Amino acid sequence: MDMTEPTFPGAIPPERRRSVRSHSLTLNLLEWGDPGTPPLLLCHGMWDHAHSFSVLAPLLAERFHVLALDARGHGDSDWAHAYTWLADLGDIVAVLRSLGRPAQLVGHSKGGGQTTEAACIVPELVTKLVNIDGFGPPPMPNPYDRAPAELARLFDLRRGLSRRDTWRPYSSLDQLVERRRSQNPRLSREWLRYFSFHGAREEADGWRWKSDPHMAHGYGPWRPEWIGPRYAALRCPMLAIVGSETDTWGPLPEPILAERLAFVPDLERRVVAGAGHFVHIERPAETAALILDFLEQ
Amino acid sequence: MGLELHELKGGEGHPLLLVHALFGSSADWAEAPAAWPGAVCALDMSGHGRSDWVRGGAYYPELLAADIDAALAHVGPVCLAGAGFGAYASLLVAGARHDLVRGVLLLPGTGLAGGGPQPDFATPSGRPDELAADTRGPFDPMVRTLERDVRPPEFAVAVARPIRRILLLEDGDPRPPWWEAVRALPASEHIEGDVRSALLHLRAATSIV
Repeated sequence: MDMTEPTFPGAIPPERRRSVRSHSLTLNLLEWGDPGTPPLLLCHGMWDHAHSFSVLAPLLAERFHVLALDARGHGDSDWAHAYTWLADLGDIVAVLRSLGRPAQLVGHSKGGGQTTEAACIVPELVTKLVNIDGFGPPPMPNPYDRAPAELARLFDLRRGLSRRDTWRPYSSLDQLVERRRSQNPRLSREWLRYFSFHGAREEADGWRWKSDPHMAHGYGPWRPEWIGPRYAALRCPMLAIVGSETDTWGPLPEPILAERLAFVPDLERRVVAGAGHFVHIERPAETAALILDFLEQ
Repeated sequence: MGLELHELKGGEGHPLLLVHALFGSSADWAEAPAAWPGAVCALDMSGHGRSDWVRGGAYYPELLAADIDAALAHVGPVCLAGAGFGAYASLLVAGARHDLVRGVLLLPGTGLAGGGPQPDFATPSGRPDELAADTRGPFDPMVRTLERDVRPPEFAVAVARPIRRILLLEDGDPRPPWWEAVRALPASEHIEGDVRSALLHLRAATSIV
């Protein structure tokens, strides 16, 4: 099939790629901008990939050397045998360490939560932090009631791992686009076509997402109530950005968000009007302006 | 992903599966098999003994509990005995697979407490990169993350509630909050003595007359 790279207004292909090793995995990074300028690391959310920053990154690259990480199990980074929040943090720390100088950190959704914790772990490697709607899920009622059944489900999944679970193939890129659009109708087909082209690959029997389906399941005693108190360990300023519109994944109800952000020692908050969870995709110019203004204060 | 499951001895009656402590291996069970009339198997969990290391270093208790579950898939219905971290992991398996586990014996040992009953918010999650090491040793250095995972007593109790018999061998050392909470369940019984006598007790408690 003739499949040339789709275009999207404002999306600029990365100028370079590089890889960083972390715990025997090879992680892929896309780069925009002058390597002589200060580094800025972008971390995407669950089921996204580094190309999801293809519009935002070039705008930030006017001032910074921008690197966008494919998290393990996503995009063109290696799959792992198992996934934990802590292991993802280790990957971000490994990338920060490889840069050789402190960096600006920008993360979206899960990547926002993880960049925030990475900034707590290695404060000497992070100058400032921008978290785009990465403040976790709302509290869960009776979180442990179903613990035995959820463990059994995890065990069943691990028993099936030897069969090498993969996503089902889609007959065309457009079917991937429609699948993704059914999850979040705020995102345009034009964008999702660009996003899916880079997030999937064409194989003999159709198109498959590149991401590892085994990241899907949760496990263990973790609770959303633990998110806010962690922020108290931050040693750098944080800019918290959310959109004004509620969609599939965000933002949190304001009282819950405010309760968590109250733990941040040095906080700025901005709301982008007319944007949902994917603030940087729905309103890239405005998001970039907020980020640059904050980082250059 | 390869796991080593060793049959230490054969025998009649339902089998016993032994689960080692943190940093341990199936070689740690010297005197135990003789106390059990049935077959005795011992597992090397991921990152330990002769089992594979987890590619990418993401160890968590439920993942190593899934290793025990994989052994159950081979051995069938069993009694479980686990030490230290292996006791906690065995509890997770016994709760999730209560139809396959007739009883579980929890023994003291390395890695029993994990990171405690609640997160330590004053100390960030640790520095995961500092655990990196490529040298081949008796265990993957990344299994040290199993010294940090949070083990709330309410979670352990929720998991343990479906278990039919829980024996807890106590040696006078301090016991973590999850252990104390499980100890208070109706199906639980705490005992003193050595591993051999504890296994005899487990056998008596789980035998069908």
